[in-house]
Amino acid sequence: MIRMIVRRLLIGLFVMWGAASVIFIIVRAAPGDPVTVFLGPDASREQIDRLTAALGLDRPLYEQYVSYLGDVLRLDFGESYRLGRPAMEAVLERLPATIDLTLTATAIAVIAGLALGLLAGRRPGGAVDRVVSAATIALQSFPTFWVGIMLVLTFALGLRLLPSAGVGTPAHLVLPAVTLALPFTAIVARLTRSSITEAMSEPYVQTARSKGLTERQVLLGHALRNSLIPVVTIVGLQMGALMGGAVIVENVFAWPGLGSLVVGAVANRDYAVVQAVTLLIAGIVMVLNLAADVLYTRLDPRIRTEARS
Amino acid sequence: MTHFRKSTATAAVAVLLLTACSTTTGGTAGGGTAGRDLTAAGTYPIESLDPHGAQGATTGTQLAAQAIFSRLVRPDATGQVTGDLAEKWEPGATAAQWNFHLRSGATFSDGKPVTSADVVASFERMQKLDGPNAANFPDYEMTAPSADQVTLTAPAPDASIPRKLGLFYVIPAGVTAEDTAFFERPVGSGPFTVNRFAPSEVLAMSANSKHWAGAPQLDRLEIRTIPDLSARLTALRTGEVDVVWGIPDDQLPVLRGTSGVTVETVPSTAVFTMWFNSSSPALKSPKVRRALWQAVDFATIIKQLYPETGALADGLVAPPVLGYAKQEPVGYDPQAAKAALREAGFESGEKLRLQFSDAEFRPFVQAVASGLAESGVQVDVLEKEKAVFTKDLLALNWDINFQQLATPTYDAASNLGRLYPCAAGRTGYCNKELDALLAKAGASADEAERAELYGQAGQIIWRDAVGMYPMTVKLAYAWGKKVTEFTPDPSGLPDFSRVKLTAK
Repeated sequence: MIRMIVRRLLIGLFVMWGAASVIFIIVRAAPGDPVTVFLGPDASREQIDRLTAALGLDRPLYEQYVSYLGDVLRLDFGESYRLGRPAMEAVLERLPATIDLTLTATAIAVIAGLALGLLAGRRPGGAVDRVVSAATIALQSFPTFWVGIMLVLTFALGLRLLPSAGVGTPAHLVLPAVTLALPFTAIVARLTRSSITEAMSEPYVQTARSKGLTERQVLLGHALRNSLIPVVTIVGLQMGALMGGAVIVENVFAWPGLGSLVVGAVANRDYAVVQAVTLLIAGIVMVLNLAADVLYTRLDPRIRTEARS
Repeated sequence: MTHFRKSTATAAVAVLLLTACSTTTGGTAGGGTAGRDLTAAGTYPIESLDPHGAQGATTGTQLAAQAIFSRLVRPDATGQVTGDLAEKWEPGATAAQWNFHLRSGATFSDGKPVTSADVVASFERMQKLDGPNAANFPDYEMTAPSADQVTLTAPAPDASIPRKLGLFYVIPAGVTAEDTAFFERPVGSGPFTVNRFAPSEVLAMSANSKHWAGAPQLDRLEIRTIPDLSARLTALRTGEVDVVWGIPDDQLPVLRGTSGVTVETVPSTAVFTMWFNSSSPALKSPKVRRALWQAVDFATIIKQLYPETGALADGLVAPPVLGYAKQEPVGYDPQAAKAALREAGFESGEKLRLQFSDAEFRPFVQAVASGLAESGVQVDVLEKEKAVFTKDLLALNWDINFQQLATPTYDAASNLGRLYPCAAGRTGYCNKELDALLAKAGASADEAERAELYGQAGQIIWRDAVGMYPMTVKLAYAWGKKVTEFTPDPSGLPDFSRVKLTAK
């Protein structure tokens, strides 16, 4: 297990280097000049030259790249001229809100998705299965921003049960988290349903039944645990995607996470912030994937055995 | 297996509890604001409270700064310059030097008096940070001849200094250019003091009881960032916020039909401006440029797209701006336009590049392109990202450039005087006579003379169709029933120190 983790961490270092290099190239290849955007169209030539030099943008690209990699190794992600402070400081300030949103959405999606998948997979082709299948297709098809607006109109404006936007109380988290969770719920539900359906026809389930266990014990104690393996994998992968989806949801619900920071940074060519966010998210996704792999081995003894051999 | 189920359930509950608890970061709960508290949701985020830094010229930072800090002078809701920290001011022998006399009794929120040393240190800090606001004062110098007087000296006569100083805010001396921590809980001499600031989320403030003009009527003011328009308007309708602005026409009927919501529009300083690139061979001739202007039915476009927030423009700058002069409207005449284009030898096969930056203006720009197409003028509509737009704008990499140009100083010097001299190189147009008029207007300390000179300059720009000036913009504000006195501001920077509420 430890060897596997060390190996994955070493691979992760290469992935991080790749992510750092790709984002360095992409932000500089994008058209537009950060200095002109920062200073506005009325800046004098001298002002533009001074800021270009201050940001190190007057140096050859390879020099900028080497210096950037050196800084990253020292965990120095540069200064955001636009925000007037270290880029990573601004990013870390917003990260907790995005993590709150993403974790809550994941928890909702996993609990609701597993429950729906179990209900549907217990009797494939039955009425419940058909309703759940239709609902999950619908949930995956609706655009997130539309779902968000509909939820606001219903629960904030219509029923006045929940706040429409912003932060402050746990109630503020409900609508954005549910909006973000819905398509993910559908994915988990469909995966769980097909895994459960498959598991229920496996010989070990027949054995469990022949031992006299109730259908509930068979389902929860045997079929579900084996069905969790692909679900765990998809949860690990989807959490990275959720952080991406959070950009739209944060905008609709004025949720002060990384979303608006990234949008502003990209629009203003704030290289330092874009690079810091990208590396942080790459790191988080890497850790999540590693955690999914570790959990995977915990759930499936065959993988543990393979890893040992 | 039982152990496994218990662990899973415990983990799920823990995640939910942790996430629910960790979001309690302050701010107001849904369900409205109470007592003498007011919540506003502006159109732009507040990303920094430093009025001298890179964000100093943004609408968000300006809105925050005018609540927290004081200026020497500031524009009132009609665009007139009024004293803030300065009680009176006058030019020296030429308009290159201006003296400002500070009022006595003005203090910072920590009780320390505001002195000329604070004003000079603030000006020097702004210059040192070299941000967008510093660009208004290149090589200007501020000195303090006495504790209650400051003198600003420009390299050349500059009559617009008092109005340009509307962008300059005073902070206590001793705050260095690098000091960002100060702006987490800044000390100012404005009508409000900061309780909490979370960039792009919320600025929560309390009334400053030490303000020289007396404490505001509000106890607390919260400015929230709600980027999505529909979310902003929903928050107004649910009572979560009390004031919103920058509302487009299509939303106004819904708000007007909402009980307890008041909607008002106010003429702003902004004008839809569509420059022609006069250095482009196809657009060199004023006859061609004027014919293109005639080819578009702006009156109908405005009526359709901006029935309440737009009006056909009759000047280069908006009426509240010093230097506004009424011009002869350019009427829609497609036949005359076609004839003039033929006569001028305009090649109808050549495509003109029409650039703009903000998706909000897409319908208007497309309608203009469609109007031009009806007269046989082909147009490539190019919607560009801000960064690309600005770069191309300065490089004259366009044939027609659309911008909503505001004049936040309420002075034509920062519009006509800044954008139209040959040296500015912003439109490819150069006219020595115009340069002389603009220079003279910029140097005169006599406001009547300046208005007259800018009027003459405007006539030349309008006659030569340096651009099309189709629409003056009104800003729409809406507020809830607890607000009894509110003055909509033409620049989108409402003064909350004068707001009155019903609730006690």
